[in-house]
Amino acid sequence: MMSMLTMLTLAQTADGPTPPTFWMPTGASAHAPSVDSLMWWVNFIMWAFLVMNTALTVYFVWKYRHKVGTKFRTDGPTHNGPLELGWTVGPVLICAVLFIFGFKGYLDLSTPPKDSYDINVTAYKWGWQFKYPNGAQSDDLVVPAGKPVRLVMRASDVLHSCYIPAFRVKQDLVPGRYTYLWFQSDFPTGMDRPTDGHHLFCTEYCGTGHSNMNRRVFVLPQEQFDAWATKQANWLDEIPEEELYWKAGPKLFARCVQCHSLDGTKGIGPTWKGIWERVTGGAGSGNAFADGSTYQSLIGPGKQYATPEDYIRAAIFSPGEHLVQGFGNVMPTFKGQINDKGIDALIGMMKKLDEFDPKTGAWLKAPPTASAK
Amino acid sequence: MTTLPARPAAPTYDTPESDNYLIHDKGFLSWILTLDHKRIGVMYTVSVLLSFLVGGIFALLVRTELLTPGRTFIDADTFNHFFTLHGAVMVFLVIIPSIPAALGNFVLPIMLGAKDVAFPRLNLFSYHLWIAGAICTVVSLVMGSFDTGWTFYTPYSTTTSAGGVVPVIVGAFILGFSSIFTGMNFIVTIHKLRPPGMTWFRMPLFLWALYATALIQVLATPVLAITLALVAVERLANIGIFNPAMGGDPVLYQHFFWFYSHPAVYIMIVPAMGIISELIAVHSHRQIFGYRFIAFSSVAIAIFSFIVWGHHMFTSGQSPLMNTLFSAITYSVAIPSAVKIFNWICTLYKGSITLNTPMLYALAFIILFTIGGLTGLHLATLSTDVHLHDTYFVVAHFHYTMMGSALIAMVGGLHHWWPKITGRMYNDKLGMIACAIVFIGFNITFFTQFMLGSHGMPRRYYDYQPEFQTYHVISTIGSYIMAGGFVLTAMYLIQSLVSGKRAPANPWGGATLEWECTSPPPYYNFHEAPKVGEPYDFSNLQWDERGEGYVTVKPTEAKA
Repeated sequence: MMSMLTMLTLAQTADGPTPPTFWMPTGASAHAPSVDSLMWWVNFIMWAFLVMNTALTVYFVWKYRHKVGTKFRTDGPTHNGPLELGWTVGPVLICAVLFIFGFKGYLDLSTPPKDSYDINVTAYKWGWQFKYPNGAQSDDLVVPAGKPVRLVMRASDVLHSCYIPAFRVKQDLVPGRYTYLWFQSDFPTGMDRPTDGHHLFCTEYCGTGHSNMNRRVFVLPQEQFDAWATKQANWLDEIPEEELYWKAGPKLFARCVQCHSLDGTKGIGPTWKGIWERVTGGAGSGNAFADGSTYQSLIGPGKQYATPEDYIRAAIFSPGEHLVQGFGNVMPTFKGQINDKGIDALIGMMKKLDEFDPKTGAWLKAPPTASAK
Repeated sequence: MTTLPARPAAPTYDTPESDNYLIHDKGFLSWILTLDHKRIGVMYTVSVLLSFLVGGIFALLVRTELLTPGRTFIDADTFNHFFTLHGAVMVFLVIIPSIPAALGNFVLPIMLGAKDVAFPRLNLFSYHLWIAGAICTVVSLVMGSFDTGWTFYTPYSTTTSAGGVVPVIVGAFILGFSSIFTGMNFIVTIHKLRPPGMTWFRMPLFLWALYATALIQVLATPVLAITLALVAVERLANIGIFNPAMGGDPVLYQHFFWFYSHPAVYIMIVPAMGIISELIAVHSHRQIFGYRFIAFSSVAIAIFSFIVWGHHMFTSGQSPLMNTLFSAITYSVAIPSAVKIFNWICTLYKGSITLNTPMLYALAFIILFTIGGLTGLHLATLSTDVHLHDTYFVVAHFHYTMMGSALIAMVGGLHHWWPKITGRMYNDKLGMIACAIVFIGFNITFFTQFMLGSHGMPRRYYDYQPEFQTYHVISTIGSYIMAGGFVLTAMYLIQSLVSGKRAPANPWGGATLEWECTSPPPYYNFHEAPKVGEPYDFSNLQWDERGEGYVTVKPTEAKA
């Protein structure tokens, strides 16, 4: 069995990812082939026993059918020591072999190599934040090809679980502790078309948006990955101040849109529509928070927030401090995930919301004209 | 020609039995305050079947929503409530009480040759607790229901804004005590109320299974009660036990929860295995193969079930060493299960097999449990489980064991003892057709979910990738077919109550004691103390044309 398993494994370590089969999806990581061949063997055992049990059952029921009114047979054996011992020991041996192979595979899976490339992962309701050693951040996971990658993961609210079917890996993210997940994929996927890359799912139930925590995993050749990471780390810095609100705003807002609308629709969080009026003493500024305070009582010189900008910044960094009436305490903090320039971009966008498409958040004035300046 | 001996206890076929438990007393109160184990069993059966209807409707709603990716007809939050309710109702209100409390209550004392269980008042109390638990679930629905999944994983369950979490936790807590009391009652009954001649190894295997189940109920359920109480305390008083934001540990919750809930799946499956042992032996009319192996394997499963809970947590953040140990121990539960399957198949060998509705359910069980059990190997094996955990593969696996096995056995047992319980026969042809429809529908529904899962479809998903849609559509169609089978079953069973033929005392040719008393049994079960013989010795049974049932003849006459 050992040699056949090895053969199967070798046969699948080809130049590209393994194609999807009847049972398994595409396999694109270093240990997918070993998981798949073990899966093949367990399936084989299942089918063998299923066919045997079903065939014997059907055959016996047909062969020993009873005609009502005739006498019952009494010649059936009531027990058979060696036979019963045999079908106890047989399954024990099968299980022992399965355990050993499963354990071997699991050891590889739970032992990241020392030279692995670390990516910090934070899962929240309902999204992912991937942070790279050079300071780059992304919503989709981008990894270098041909290099072991270790995800250092935590959850900011409830349990989540990171599952990449093509890599055959899965690990829960637990609030209050770090967990690791590692893999190596040798096959670049590109990241230009929407079909590029692999699925990444959340597999620990976490509420309303659980099934929308799916993201892509892109595998890039090392040079391409480095270029991407550098660009990703600095994209905000390269944008001039005056273009910030329309260049960076919608891009950052893409992480807010799941809960906050621009067109007044009630979402998981309050809508952005009219937000600048509310915080600057205009329409809606008398609205009460859950704790009884109002925008007017909180914002202004000498109050808790001296300027509206201070309030917005605080609402993004410590969202639970004053909850808007009618909304739960579900927003995660974005402290450390967005810098002051990013905050500036979002505030700039709030100030000029009428320049943006209320459905998509796209800037309506593009391309910029000379008069816009 | 043999003339049948005149026996005083032999049923009269033309006139209904003058006194039986159904007509012994009249009125609503005579039922709701009864101490008779048979009436309590019947009330449990009706309650459990009604809950099954409710849980089944939620299942169909969930499957219908999954016909298309994105919204089909309900939003994500409603979907989350529906799948949670389906799970919680099916686990706590249906499957856990279905066999021990419903069928077990009716059958256990009669099979044992006793007048009742050891503590009839406690028995009634446990039914009233069940009702209280069910009412709590309804209260929870009124207060905003719950969306935690039936597992109540923290910190989601202690932080969700759904308003019905605490009431349903109280409900599950109360249902736990209902289960504990039933278990205690059965243990004492089997120890103390066996009549002369009923030795441990003359007990029908269903009783061995109920005994093993009762041990689990009594030993494991208190842990669930404590755990749920802690969740309620955390939610209500903000004492940090499981929520890390308050210094708690969510993985601790999982250990507590599965320490009960893994044994709990054996509360569901072990009595089901007991029913199958009866069904196979009685309808094959043959000494069961390897009686002692089957009896001991029930107890072995009960013991092993306590030390494998960690296999639900291979990806939870539990240490690799723990995962390895739990994986190794988990295989140990596979062995006694395999032993039972082989024993049942060997019981068919050289039997005298009557193929009728209960037998067909038993055969369906063998096949479905083979699939359910063997896919457990994929999940016990560490490296494949990492891929399959929390996907539809797991959903399919536990539906094969919980529904395809435990519930199918319950339905088979219901058909087996239906003539005894109600005194009426049902339409056996329709029964076999309905069983076939359920079997086919079940496999269409759930086998596709194995493929969904191994291809990476996570469970508890409202929205999914378009590539999974084909499987989802097939699965949903299967669930409608299965529902049709159950509707047909309900129809002919109700019809049998109205206009079914009167049942003889022993319609199948069973040798255990319940087939010696009339159908339905008299109030005190036996007119005279039963003579305890071998439970699977069918040699003295003879078909009686006139009564369309089996009668016991003396050995000498049988030979003539």
